[in-house]
Amino acid sequence: MADTICFQDISRYYASTNVQANDHVSFSIGSGEIHAICGENGAGKTTLMRILFGLERPDSGTILLDGEAVSLTSPADSIAHGIGMVHQHFMLVPSFSVTENIMLGNEKAKKGFLQKKDERAFVQKLSETFHLPIDAGAIVETLPVGLLQRVEILKMLARNVRIIILDEPTAVLTPQEVGPFLETLKELARSGHTILFISHKLQEVLSVADKITVMRQGKVIGTKLRSETDMEDLAMMMVGRKVVLHVDKKLACPKGNILEADHLSAVNVNGTKLLDDVSFRIRSGEIYGIAGVTGNGQDTLVSCISGLVKPASGEVRLEGASMTKESVRARRHRGMAHVPEDRIAMGLNMQSSVEENILMGYETQEPYCKKGFLHMGQVQSLTEELIKSYSIAGASCDSPVSMLSGGNMQKVVLGRELAGNPKLLIVNQPTRGLDVGSIEFVHKMIIAERDRGVAVLLISVELEEILSLSDRVGVLFSGRLQGELEGDAINEKNIGLFMVGGHV
Amino acid sequence: MNKQQNRLMNVLVPVTALVLGVFVASLLIAMTEVSPFKAFGVLVSGAFGCSGKVWPLCITLGQSTPLIMTGLAAMFAFRAGIFCIAQESQYVFGAIVAAWLGVTLHWPSFLLVPFIMLCSMVVGALAAEIPAVLKVKLGVNEIISSIMINNIATLVLEYLVAFPLRADSGQKAQSAVLPQSLWLPQFIKGSRWGVSFVIALICVVVAYIVLWKTSYGYELRMAGQAPLFARYGGIDADQVVLNAMAVSGALAGLAGCMEVLGNYHRIMTGFSSGLGFDGLSVAMLGLSSPIGVFIVAILLAGIRQGAQLGLQINLKIPRELGGVLIALIILFISLQNIYTPLLKKFVSTSSLKE
Repeated sequence: MADTICFQDISRYYASTNVQANDHVSFSIGSGEIHAICGENGAGKTTLMRILFGLERPDSGTILLDGEAVSLTSPADSIAHGIGMVHQHFMLVPSFSVTENIMLGNEKAKKGFLQKKDERAFVQKLSETFHLPIDAGAIVETLPVGLLQRVEILKMLARNVRIIILDEPTAVLTPQEVGPFLETLKELARSGHTILFISHKLQEVLSVADKITVMRQGKVIGTKLRSETDMEDLAMMMVGRKVVLHVDKKLACPKGNILEADHLSAVNVNGTKLLDDVSFRIRSGEIYGIAGVTGNGQDTLVSCISGLVKPASGEVRLEGASMTKESVRARRHRGMAHVPEDRIAMGLNMQSSVEENILMGYETQEPYCKKGFLHMGQVQSLTEELIKSYSIAGASCDSPVSMLSGGNMQKVVLGRELAGNPKLLIVNQPTRGLDVGSIEFVHKMIIAERDRGVAVLLISVELEEILSLSDRVGVLFSGRLQGELEGDAINEKNIGLFMVGGHV
Repeated sequence: MNKQQNRLMNVLVPVTALVLGVFVASLLIAMTEVSPFKAFGVLVSGAFGCSGKVWPLCITLGQSTPLIMTGLAAMFAFRAGIFCIAQESQYVFGAIVAAWLGVTLHWPSFLLVPFIMLCSMVVGALAAEIPAVLKVKLGVNEIISSIMINNIATLVLEYLVAFPLRADSGQKAQSAVLPQSLWLPQFIKGSRWGVSFVIALICVVVAYIVLWKTSYGYELRMAGQAPLFARYGGIDADQVVLNAMAVSGALAGLAGCMEVLGNYHRIMTGFSSGLGFDGLSVAMLGLSSPIGVFIVAILLAGIRQGAQLGLQINLKIPRELGGVLIALIILFISLQNIYTPLLKKFVSTSSLKE
């Protein structure tokens, strides 16, 4: 196989953050292959792809396309060379139709008038040629995320690219959407496209990629054929040490009830039922996992229990006493801790320093606040303690929290929430977007809290996470608790049945 | 970029805007065939000079007093994440209350003066709660409700001074002069620089402490920067907005009150001359920090004063040039995206060398 792309000695240094994002990166990608680039957050994968797509210039080094050195100065330049990129966050106009989005910037027109019929026919033909079925007339905002990704890919194909870069393409997909998506990739490779995809989900990488390049701290650690590697091997290359992928935990020894949810129901402004008569209990020292496809009421359930939303009916009790009518602050003071799904918008204040983020929730409590005045010295010593015990890399008390990597941000949130010695810990998608090393750490912390006697409510759409952490599992399906599982009954098959509304 | 570099950047941006503004204004002055160096020399001595019967510096400090107050008012609204531009109305309402109570009540002055101040603050706060409640409870855009309430305030003022509060049937619609016992003393006669300035200075110090040293200030800043984060952490963000707006309104109301008691001693049509709006510029240029507000208010008052006292009287350059200079500075602040990358590069390379 001839090399389509060849990176030679690419280096890129960011002066503002003092990071060597790419450090003499050299490797090559064959024509028509699916090439995965793996690495932890901040390993330099995205920077390299941005350089290939013309969004950034390397400080040194060259890119060879089909053996010829090219200088890519803008995305338009890269597209002209046949390179297209699908970003992690979609670049689509929500109120436009699929056709309009695909043709945007490339409209077919005669004497200034759009040829909508021709455009639509073109998109339909494109979708048939590449076996990516889509309704060309559908409005983009009405489509599920999986189809949006398809639109993005079609947008690139419409521009005749032969190399497609995908940045963390599966991060936004539900587990059900991942399978068909990976098939799509294989299909595209069969039709002669070269696929470069960034991921840190090793399972996916191993199921679809022909070759895998691992990066760490801006350097290429190695490129391997799929057949000559496995998960443990890749994880070790990524992290630089042996990683325990399997979660070790002792048998749970639950005690008294901590959290009781009683016939919880909630409706949205339109009167649609988001939660429908949900009841469960969590005992001290056990992890209760909530599984389910995204959008089946998980967010509403978390909001009702954490106090962000008042349920329409039903009751939430902590240690036997009702907290349905209590504010978020009152619930926190009674021993609730909450690690939210969206750490950037909800879990942290990106414009603020690490110490001010650590203070949240304790700002009216002694010893951090006395008679309304803050004692920043106390906050600083807590922050320093957390930075040390959680080994939060790159953080100091007054450094902006936005400078940290995703995994370290999550450590700040986790550290803050656990610092109050909670009785109830709500963790919502705790490892979303984290690298292998951080996932291992977060899982260990959750289990340590359980063993300390905390009642843990774990919400996750990652089935594997639910399976490896939970002592008991409840499955949400369209706002109802479709079923509960315990002990040996917790397996992929049973949960899967409940997830689609079936019964065991 | 660490915190120190960020702080340096925060100062560098307004300073760059100031330098660029002065540069462009110099070009304009050069067109009038007066040397820009001479003109700015006159401007500075007209603004901050310490000579003559009434020092220009004292006049500038007197002029800056209401700007500091409305600047602090706008700052509290900004910090809560509300782009409220109703300081004008709160200022006017505060002034109306002061003038009305001053001419109608006949209490001993040591009781009446604090009472008037308190009432102006309460009324200012209530006026500020109108856009705040509309925003929090109904999601009404605060800019639109602010503009409307500003109009209401102006019209109420015109009506009151034209009819109920009118002192005489003369040409000008204005209220009677307040009894001299209610006047806030001035340090130097004719300078407008007096007790009001001290009160404004106290407000700056208190605002600084509240914002950075108390849990109330922490809640305010967090709710303004990241409302969802604040709610998640247990802060009642709606209540924080209502409280901050009350403080903001009280400060603007007090500004109006002090202008009546300390400066004009009566109220008339066109009383405000846009001081409420100037507060917005002051808060923005002052980076929504109390100390920044204090410095910028004095600077802006100085430019105006220097343009009037120095340029117009000495050099026959129209005093509007002062307004042009202020406008240029604001323009260059809003164009900061063009030059911040250069500044950032400069800051990070110079700190690397250290």
